[in-house]
Amino acid sequence: MTAPYFELGYFGTRGALVAALVIGIAFGWCLESAGMGSARKLAGQFYLTDLTVFKVMFSAVVTAMLGLFWLGRIGVLDISRVYVPETYLVPQLVGGLLFGVGFALGGLCPGTSCVAAATGRLDGVALVFGMWCGVLGTGLLFPALARFYERTPRGVLTLPQVAHVPYGVAVFLVVLAALVGFMSAERIEARPRIGA
Amino acid sequence: MSGNRERWIARGLAAVALTLGLLAPLAGSPYRANHAAIDVPALARTVAREEDHVTALELAQWIKDRRAGLRVLDVRSPEEYERYHLPTAEHLALDSLTIVPFHADDTLVLYSEGGAHAAQAWVLLRALGYRNVYFLRGGLYEWLEQVMNPTLADTTAAGRDAFARAATLSRYFGGVPRSDIRTPPADESIALPGATRATSVVPLPTRTTSTRLDAIRRRGC
Repeated sequence: MTAPYFELGYFGTRGALVAALVIGIAFGWCLESAGMGSARKLAGQFYLTDLTVFKVMFSAVVTAMLGLFWLGRIGVLDISRVYVPETYLVPQLVGGLLFGVGFALGGLCPGTSCVAAATGRLDGVALVFGMWCGVLGTGLLFPALARFYERTPRGVLTLPQVAHVPYGVAVFLVVLAALVGFMSAERIEARPRIGA
Repeated sequence: MSGNRERWIARGLAAVALTLGLLAPLAGSPYRANHAAIDVPALARTVAREEDHVTALELAQWIKDRRAGLRVLDVRSPEEYERYHLPTAEHLALDSLTIVPFHADDTLVLYSEGGAHAAQAWVLLRALGYRNVYFLRGGLYEWLEQVMNPTLADTTAAGRDAFARAATLSRYFGGVPRSDIRTPPADESIALPGATRATSVVPLPTRTTSTRLDAIRRRGC
């Protein structure tokens, strides 16, 4: 039986929803365990005092990348059936900037705001409410936004394709970048602080 | 003690990641689809039975009916897609075919400007194992001629019926059906709906439709 199971018809919609719920709860539990439900911890990222967000997210990227590559290679997963979001350059740059402003102002991103809300933090509840309003507003205004949403399409892009290197080389380079990044992050966190 | 243990776990995980990363360049491609196989006789039968393509009017009806699982795929350049594309169409770069996932039950309709690139993409998608794949026979030009700007060419009762059906579809997509039978003037052009004035028309040579489409097909785009 080859993965992805839903894509290849082994799971129905109900099975996929149950799987999504279980994976979602596990993801939230991991985020909370890593301390990512705290806006103070996340804000530390911007002051270079606590780089937990960088370390957790980059290690998640590396784990998923190695998993996808090797499971694809040994034939357990049909990697061509894994959804890769299409690139729309300008709308995604604007969206990324908006996301960054919201992250810096609120101290939480969408996933961590759900974790913060689930543990009863009021800032998390406020951000989830704001996110919900934003989703609703975007949905209602979508006909007016559709033209902008579809601007500068670049299709599905992956690192090996953009960098013109074999997939395995891209994997190695990302692992290397992550390990160098983790070591640098540890050093930055360990340096003496002014006024500390 | 606990800090020491965590440090060793982190180092161990880093060593595992580095080993798997180092081996990755030697392991080859993870895409099974890179080695797709073609059942040549089956594909030839599909082509012979003309089950490999759809006409612009058939596609227009599918889009209007919101056919379940229909995905209309534009294989032209991103700039051409941005300038004008069919309603509901998604852009698909030919070199992304192996990394774009489609559901096995999706109905995939490919189109390019004339039809050649779409037909080539059709072969590739069939080789990847997708069953419900079609290409738009005459490409974007057929869509513009038959859906956006249908003209009454056959004045028999059957011809008028066919024109009436095409005209209904055309109006649904914002097209301009023409029932006046006339020779197109030298500056005849086809309107691109929703485009800016500077790019709102596609000039077409003053030839018959079939000659014109043949010329486009020969151009191979």
